[in-house]
Amino acid sequence: MKRFLFISILITVGLFSAEIAPAEDWISLKEASRNIRSVKAEFLQKRYLKILTKPLLSEGRLFFDAPDSLRWEYLNPLQSVMLQKGNTIQIYNFSEGVWKPEMAQAVEARRMVLAEISQWFQGRFDESKAFKHVYSPGPPVRVTMVPGEGINRFIQRIEIFLSVRPGVIDRVEIEEPGGSRTSIEFKNVEINSSLSSEVFEKP
Amino acid sequence: MILKKGLDICLLGFLILSIGCVPISETTLSPGSPDDLPGCYAIFPAEPWESVHSLEATIRRGSSSLLGVTKGEPSERRLQSLLLSPEGFILFDAERRENGIAVRKAVAPFDSPAFARGLMEDVTFLFLPPQVKPTTWGKKTDGTMICKWEGPDDTQTEIRGSTGSGWRILRRDKRGEVIKEVVLNGPFVNGLASRMELRAFKPTSYSLRMTLVQPSP
Repeated sequence: MKRFLFISILITVGLFSAEIAPAEDWISLKEASRNIRSVKAEFLQKRYLKILTKPLLSEGRLFFDAPDSLRWEYLNPLQSVMLQKGNTIQIYNFSEGVWKPEMAQAVEARRMVLAEISQWFQGRFDESKAFKHVYSPGPPVRVTMVPGEGINRFIQRIEIFLSVRPGVIDRVEIEEPGGSRTSIEFKNVEINSSLSSEVFEKP
Repeated sequence: MILKKGLDICLLGFLILSIGCVPISETTLSPGSPDDLPGCYAIFPAEPWESVHSLEATIRRGSSSLLGVTKGEPSERRLQSLLLSPEGFILFDAERRENGIAVRKAVAPFDSPAFARGLMEDVTFLFLPPQVKPTTWGKKTDGTMICKWEGPDDTQTEIRGSTGSGWRILRRDKRGEVIKEVVLNGPFVNGLASRMELRAFKPTSYSLRMTLVQPSP
C-alpha cells in the first residue's frame, strides 16, 4: 500500500486538481485534462537522500492511453516496467537479458494505485480522498497536494509544476518526512499521439 | 521455524541454488609475512564511502530488482544500508553500530527482525573485514592471496584471490563447509568492486547480485 502510494505520486502526469482555486482556472485545468486521450513522455528522476552526497538519478518513460492503459518504465539504473491495461497489471524487471515478472504481492499493491491514477487521468480528481489540493496561479502554475492522515507518515507534500502548454506537467516534487525528496522532470511530452496497444501489454 | 521463515523473507529470499555447499577445499597456510598482511584488507574499502548498487534478488517465487544504498565508516565499523524500490521509495533503512542494529524504517516484507539482522550481516560481510587479525595468511606461487580469520562459534572467514583473477570471501561453518560466499569482480572504484555476487547456502539458500551504479565520494 505504501509503495502503491509512492508510485501513484510518481505517475501523476495529467494530475490537475484544485480545491482552493479561482473557478475559471479550475475549470480550464479540468477541461485540459479531459481533453487528454494519451500521454507519452520521458522523465529524469532525482532522488535526494540524506545518506547520499549526490542525488540518485533514474531515467525512464511513460505512456498513458485513456481510459485505463498505462506504462511506467525505468530505463536505468534498473530496468523495470509496470503495465496496466484495464484490470490487468503486470510488472517486470529486466535481468540477465530477459524480462522477469515481479512478485505477486507487489503486483497487487500496484493494482490499487493504478486504479486511482486512471481516475486522475480522466479528470476525476475530486474522487481522490488521499490528498487535499491547493492551486497556485504562479508563475509557475502549480498544484500542491497535501496528504491526509496516515499517508503523511510517508509523504509530506507534493508539488506539481504545470507547463504553459495545457495538459502538460513540467516537474513533480515530492517531499518526505525526514528531509528526503524526489524531483521528476518530464521532457519530450507528446499529448494525444497514437499509441500501439502492445505498449501496454508487453515489456 | 520462525527464524527460518524470517530468513526466507530476508533479502527477498533468493533463489534456492542447491542444497549442498560449494566444494571449495580448505588450504593449509602458515602465518604469512607481515608484508603480505595488508593484502588481506585490500578488497575492503579503507576510507569512508557511499555507494549505490543495483541488486537482483531471486527466490523460488520470483525475482525482484532493487537499489541498495550503503554508507560506511570503516574506522568506526559503522554501516548504513537502504533498500529502495525501482521508483526510489525507501523500503528499508538501518544502521549497524558497535552496539547493534538500529532500524529506522522497514516496510513489509522487509520489516522482520530476522530480515534486518540478515541484511546487515550480509552488508557487513561484504564491506567490513573481521575485527581481529587473521590467524593465517600468505601468497601462493601463482600470486593468489589467502587470508583466514577465526570467528565466533568456530566459524571461519577466508578471502582468496588476486587482482587478475578476482576475489572471493568465504564463510565456513565449524565443519569447514562454505555457508556463504561473495565473488568480487573489478575494476575497483574508490575501493569498491564493480560487481559482486553473494550466495548463501545455509541455513537458507539465496543469492544476491550487485552492480555498482554510483560510487562516491
